[in-house]
Amino acid sequence: MTERNRYPGYDVMAKRHSLSWNDATRKVMDARLGVPREPRFLRQMEWDTLVAICERIIPQPQNRPPIPLAAYIDQKLQNDARNGFRNAALPPQREAWKKGLAAFEAEACLRYEHSFHNLKERQQDELLHRAETGQSDASVWSGMDASLFFSEHVMSDIIAAYYAHPTSWNEIGFGGPAGPRGYVRMQNGRRDPWEPVEAGPGDETRVRRENQRVR
Amino acid sequence: MVNTRTPTGAPRNALALLGSLTGAALVGALYSRSQPTVAHSPTKTPVPDFAKANLAARRLNRAAGTLALSVLFDSALEHYRGQFRNRAMYTPLVTAAMALGVSAHGTMDQRQMPHVVRDTVYVLTAIAGLAGTGFHLFNVRRKAGGVSWQNLFYGAPVGAPMAIGLSGLLGYLSERVRETPSGQTPMVWGLPAGRVVGIASGLGMAGTTGEAGLLHFRGGFHDPFMYLPVTMPPVTALVLGRTALGPAGTERRATRWWLRATAILGLSGSAFHAIGVGRDMGGWRNWEQNILNGPPIPAPPAFTGLALAGLAALSLLENHPDD
Amino acid sequence: MSDDPLITPRAARGRAPDVFHPGAWVPMKEYPQREPVDFVVIGTGAGGGPLIARLAEYGYSVIGFDAGPYFRPLEDFASDEASQSQLFWTDERLVDGANPLKMGANNSGRAVGGSTVHYAMVSLRFRPEWFRSRTLLGYGTDWPLDWREMWRYYAQAEHDLSIAGPVSYPWGPKRPRYPYRAHEINGAAEVLARGAEAMGYKWAETPLATVSAPRGDSPSCVYRGFCRVGCSTNAKQSQLVTYIPRALAAGAEIRDLAMVGRIEVDAAGRACGVHYHRNGAWHFQAARNVIVAGYAIETPRLLLNSATDRFRDGLANSSGLVGRYLMTQSNQAVYGVMDEMVRWNKGPPSLTITEHWNYDDRKDFHGGYCWMAQGPLPVEWSAAMSGSRKLWGAPLREKMADYNHQVGLKMVGEMLPHPDNRVSLANEKDRYGLPVARVTYSWHDNDKAMIQHALGEMQRSLELVGAKDIWRQENDTNHLAGTARMGNDRKSSVVNADCRSWDIPNLWICDGSVFPTTGGVNPSLTITAIALRTADRIQMLQQTGQLNF
Ligand SMILES: Cc1cc2nc3c(=O)[nH]c(=O)nc-3n(C[C@H](O)[C@H](O)[C@H](O)COP(=O)(O)OP(=O)(O)OC[C@H]3O[C@@H](n4cnc5c(N)ncnc54)[C@H](O)[C@@H]3O)c2cc1C
Ligand code: SF4
Repeated sequence: MTERNRYPGYDVMAKRHSLSWNDATRKVMDARLGVPREPRFLRQMEWDTLVAICERIIPQPQNRPPIPLAAYIDQKLQNDARNGFRNAALPPQREAWKKGLAAFEAEACLRYEHSFHNLKERQQDELLHRAETGQSDASVWSGMDASLFFSEHVMSDIIAAYYAHPTSWNEIGFGGPAGPRGYVRMQNGRRDPWEPVEAGPGDETRVRRENQRVR
Repeated sequence: MVNTRTPTGAPRNALALLGSLTGAALVGALYSRSQPTVAHSPTKTPVPDFAKANLAARRLNRAAGTLALSVLFDSALEHYRGQFRNRAMYTPLVTAAMALGVSAHGTMDQRQMPHVVRDTVYVLTAIAGLAGTGFHLFNVRRKAGGVSWQNLFYGAPVGAPMAIGLSGLLGYLSERVRETPSGQTPMVWGLPAGRVVGIASGLGMAGTTGEAGLLHFRGGFHDPFMYLPVTMPPVTALVLGRTALGPAGTERRATRWWLRATAILGLSGSAFHAIGVGRDMGGWRNWEQNILNGPPIPAPPAFTGLALAGLAALSLLENHPDD
Repeated sequence: MSDDPLITPRAARGRAPDVFHPGAWVPMKEYPQREPVDFVVIGTGAGGGPLIARLAEYGYSVIGFDAGPYFRPLEDFASDEASQSQLFWTDERLVDGANPLKMGANNSGRAVGGSTVHYAMVSLRFRPEWFRSRTLLGYGTDWPLDWREMWRYYAQAEHDLSIAGPVSYPWGPKRPRYPYRAHEINGAAEVLARGAEAMGYKWAETPLATVSAPRGDSPSCVYRGFCRVGCSTNAKQSQLVTYIPRALAAGAEIRDLAMVGRIEVDAAGRACGVHYHRNGAWHFQAARNVIVAGYAIETPRLLLNSATDRFRDGLANSSGLVGRYLMTQSNQAVYGVMDEMVRWNKGPPSLTITEHWNYDDRKDFHGGYCWMAQGPLPVEWSAAMSGSRKLWGAPLREKMADYNHQVGLKMVGEMLPHPDNRVSLANEKDRYGLPVARVTYSWHDNDKAMIQHALGEMQRSLELVGAKDIWRQENDTNHLAGTARMGNDRKSSVVNADCRSWDIPNLWICDGSVFPTTGGVNPSLTITAIALRTADRIQMLQQTGQLNF
């Protein structure tokens, strides 16, 4: 997948040693970047399904190392870190994820006679859409509301993991951590030297140079 | 780590020094009275003095230079914050730098005649000040809310360009003093120069007080010292105004002391502001942010420049009684 | 011992963290467990914080309990949304009803300082008529409080919290000048202003509890924009850096990481202390008065969990209203994209506001609403794009790339009280073995009518300033209120105007749960004002012999 890079050359991690980061930030970001890449909570089969789902929920470009989304979900489940509320129609999150992953796998086998992670992207999307719109095969979901699971867990957990990662901040031009140093220029169109520049069509090279100076 | 504590170490000592100097100047002002220098001479014949006129002119150059210095750094900071989005934003830097240059030249120049370059630069500077005021006003009116506290606080400061305008005006006046033939009272626009300079710097002082008042109001007067620049200079302006309109040829020691105190106030303001920057989040380590968002360090010496101009006016008045 | 504030209590051994100086401590008085203190306050947030401080300043012995940790913002707070979920109440709560609420990051803090540690600092006064909305405006129910008295306590709260607000506030009766001047508005906030001007509505800088100039040990705001996940600058005037230090200085004790599980009632039917869990074990603290300030979910949960043979339906619940009339506020938004770079994450998120529809009654529904500018951080923004706009896959990433051009207007709207919107106990237990809360919520017709009205207005406003790709976030709600409403009689309310429960004279409830209606503005300044009043009333009652202990 090739796509226009709106903030060429911008790397929020280059600010790591600047005043935009404090020790607490460095500590949590180090932990985030060092997330174990192997499943600890999920079993291999569940993990494979999860990896495939993550790739469809947030398809990532080929020209950079991907954000290990499945690893963050596994970590969340391993720590049983919760959001503070649960739709009464869903089981607790660990159980919900295990049930949900099993259901996707079962439905893949049922419909396409293949494991979910071996399906074509189009087929995977199809199954995800069915879950999202509540058209999944109720029998394989063993009583769990597929569309609720899709919105409350598949979407929210995976997408939250993606946008908590610095690589995604480069993509959207987010200034990233800011403290003790904050921002000065508040008006529209104004930029502090430690914020990225957006490239218009054609001025990639100049902008890349400027963004490499963002510290 | 933040230094959120009260000033310590070197800054505190500097402050204490400046504080006591200001205090001494104030005490001096309070305990001295105006003494007529020529009161005993019944005829009040002017005693024009070539050296003294030159001295007054040079003092005016010095005042203009001080103002220019303050404006140079202040507008550099503010317009850097504004990212020089508009070419015109370089104008005050260029004019202030030029005004600073010619003022330095003038301060050292002992000749009793105007200099065409200086004269031109000063006139241009004065015009730039007027134009800048127009620009800033336009900028404020264009923003959402128009002329509102929000835009007066955070939009282009309406009063700021007048400082460079004043610098130009003072320089221009200095040239007029210089071109006065020996033995005559320096006149500007048909008025005695001493009075014109006195009124101009008094008005400038009042305007600068307004600017400081606005910004200190924005800061919620969170520190009691923030009341100083809105209480002292207005008195100075009044005293100076009274002197400029009052009888000439008298020695005004009280006025002189007030002016000196105000000059010191301007300098200590910068010291206070520097401490303020250090108190902001991240302190001086975070200077990239704090010199812009914290109190403006170069701004307060505008008071010094005007007080110096007032002192020049005073010597003109004392030495060239015109009534 | 671990210095992790989430594991080991920090307020102990005669000292508590000095939040202003890394590694430093302030002395703290400690009270023995067996001797009753004058007041135990459960919760240290918008309501509990000022109450603890004022009661201690009046000379009472007070202990403030909080289930949450005692943070040192300068050291503990990262500029990071994900890890700062340490500020939220993340223990399980069940949500159901036609419109199940989102809790956690949305409305529930757990820390010394309560939700004010992560709130957005918007500090608004009620419209005076709302205190008598039934009589004057024909909906909801009247409060037992007089707005003129509240006006005085608002002023006190604004002073204590150094609110930075506009020089003159365009709506409502005159109020004293805010202690600090308004902040510079950012690009997103200016869009609100221009939109409002185009519609002929007034707008103002939002009064915020973050200083625009230094105050004591608080440096001024640095516009980092992470307010809703904690202010590592200490510019935010949360209870953690305002009332709590005052409380400690006045001789109060704070017990952090101390979850109160049950209020004990003696044979005479009076509250006599609390059972709390700290350092891995249950303890009992004796008290002459118990004040519950755990917010609209935990307060009723604790009262219900404290049921005895004598009070079978829970404490203070003879009216059967504990847990009922839960209200949230509608928090719908309209978003759009501007051509210019806006970078809406700079500065506090809600720098401008229009309260137009709080003060204009020409509308065909009850209640009022305001709207404010927006500036969500990436995770929160992506949650809106996925949760409300239903985007995922490539379209999501594409739209997310507009982040720096995005602007938005978000309402805070008054939902009407309804008895079926409520907190009850579920069968599930939490880690302390206590039944968890079940939160049931459904919108009613009036709520829906208001939301549609607001969405239309906000959309028009964005269209008028030339925003593109406009869409509506239809499903969001935020602040909580109700569940232990105050009133004039014991049949239709849980507490009286002094926040004193009708049933148990030494049991008080003083937090957002006492609101009979919720108004069209953010609640915490009103909660704080009520707490300040309650402290004054307690002292008055005791001096006049109407409160004996
Ligand atoms: C993201 C966000 C933004 C917000 N923005 C604003 C805003 O801009 N303006 C505004 O006015 N309001 C805002 N609010 C709402 C505001 O924070 C709350 O309305 C207010 O803090 C509630 O005050 P309270 O005293 O009732 O409860 P809280 O402040 O929530 O305090 C309750 C405390 O009690 C403790 N507690 C509860 N139960 C127990 C127990 N059993 N034992 C021990 N401790 C217990 C909790 O740990 C918590 O610390 C916001 C809220 C959130 C979540
Ligand atoms: S924007 Fe201001 S209030 Fe918000 S977190 Fe930053 S410093 Fe604190």
